[in-house]
Amino acid sequence: MAARRYVDVFEAYDRFTQGQKMPETEWDYNVVPSTAALMKDRYGIQFGDGIVPEDPDLIDNLFLAGVDMLINTGLYNTDLERVMKVEEDEIYEGIKMAPKKLSLGSGKDRCKCKARRGNSSRKPVVQGGPTGAPITEEIFTSLVESYAAEPMVDALVSGVLETVDGHSVITNTPWEIKATMAEIRYVREASANAGRPGLSV
Amino acid sequence: MVGSDPHECSQLNELKVDISVLNTISGWHSAGDIIMVEQMPMFGGYAGGAEETAICDVATTLASFVVFNGDIHLDGPIHIRWGTTTTRDTLKVAAHVAAALDYNTDLLLANQYYTMAGPCTEMCLLETAAQAIADTASGRELLSGVASAKGVALDKVTGMEARMLGEASAATCGMEVSTVNEILDRIVSRYEMNFFNAPNGKRYQDCYNVNDATPNNEYLNLYDNVLDILSDCGLGF
Repeated sequence: MAARRYVDVFEAYDRFTQGQKMPETEWDYNVVPSTAALMKDRYGIQFGDGIVPEDPDLIDNLFLAGVDMLINTGLYNTDLERVMKVEEDEIYEGIKMAPKKLSLGSGKDRCKCKARRGNSSRKPVVQGGPTGAPITEEIFTSLVESYAAEPMVDALVSGVLETVDGHSVITNTPWEIKATMAEIRYVREASANAGRPGLSV
Repeated sequence: MVGSDPHECSQLNELKVDISVLNTISGWHSAGDIIMVEQMPMFGGYAGGAEETAICDVATTLASFVVFNGDIHLDGPIHIRWGTTTTRDTLKVAAHVAAALDYNTDLLLANQYYTMAGPCTEMCLLETAAQAIADTASGRELLSGVASAKGVALDKVTGMEARMLGEASAATCGMEVSTVNEILDRIVSRYEMNFFNAPNGKRYQDCYNVNDATPNNEYLNLYDNVLDILSDCGLGF
C-alpha cells in the first residue's frame, strides 16, 4: 500500500509507545542475529575476496536484504522496551525525502556535500578532526588548527576535552555541558587562526 | 553551532535507540538543522559475521534517514576484537554497504576512521589511506577522521592523518574498482599482520610545533616515505 506520508521522529515515538513489548536481551541475542542470518540466506549474500564489491547482483541483493531486515525487525527502544515497525513504502518514501546535497559551512569556506555515483571523479568531503578522541585543554585549539590548516580538509569534526577549567569532564554533569560549549568555542578559534573561519564544525 | 553545521547523534548497537536520542532529534528536526546520525555496527558482535553485519548496517543506515530524519548517515563498522575500522573485514563491510546504498539511492553516506596505530607511524598512515581508498571507490560522500590510536589515547591525533585521508581519497577518484581492489590488497597486506603489536605513535605535542600548529620534520619525512610506499602499491599522486 502507498505510504500516507514519510515517518518522522514524532511518529516513531508514537509507534514505539504502542509497539510490541520485548526484553532487550531477546532483541540483541535472538531477533537481530536470526533475522540477519535469514536475510543472508534469502538473498544469497556471500562476499568475495575484493574489499570493494564488483558484482552488481551482490550489490543489489545486499540493498534488498537490508530493506527486508528493517521491515522484519523494525527498531528497538531501550527505555520503553518496545519495538516499532516501518513499512516498505514508508522506507522508499523516506529515501525520497532525504536530501541529495547539503551545504556545510559558510562564506568562502562553504563546501557542498553532494551525492556521488560509484567511484566518481569528484572527491568526497573531508571532515577532518580528532573524531571524539580525548585532548588536553591547553593544546586543544592548536591541535584542531592542525586540521583546519590542511588544504584537503573541507569541514571540521571536534575532539573531546579531557578537562575544562581543570575539572574532569564527567558525563551527565554541568561540567559536561561547559566542556561541550568550550569545545565549540575552541574549534571556532582554531578555524579562525587557520584563516578559515567559516569551516563547518 | 549554526544552521550549516551538522548536528550529530547516535543510534545504539544494533537497530536500537533510546528516548534521549529521539528527544534530541525532535529539537533539531523542528529547527531545520542538518542532522548527522551515527552508528558503528560491530563486526563479530550481535549480528555475526561480515555478511550479517553488512545487512544490519544497510538496515541501520536506512533507519537514520527514513525514521530518524537524518540528512547524512555516519557509518563506521568496527572490529569487536580490535576496536578499529581499518581491518580487512571491516573495510569490506563498509565498502559493500556503501556500494549497495549508492547503487540504489542518492543518500548521503559518511564513514569515520579509527586506526589501530597512533600518529607519526607508517602503519597509521597506511590504515588511513586504505580506508580512504575503499570509502571513495564505494561511493561515499563524506569521510570523517582520523581518530588515530583508536581514538582513546590522550592527544594522539593530528592533522597529518587527515592530510593522508584527503590525498589518498583524491588519488582514488575515478579509478576502476578492480584496480582499486588490487591496490587495497597490497596496502592492507602491509599492515594487517601488525595488529597484535601496533605502534602507539606520538602525541600531538611530540610531533608538531604547538605554537604554529605545523608538523615537525620527522613526521614530514615519514609522510613522504608512506607516499612512496603507496605509489609502489599502485596509487598515483
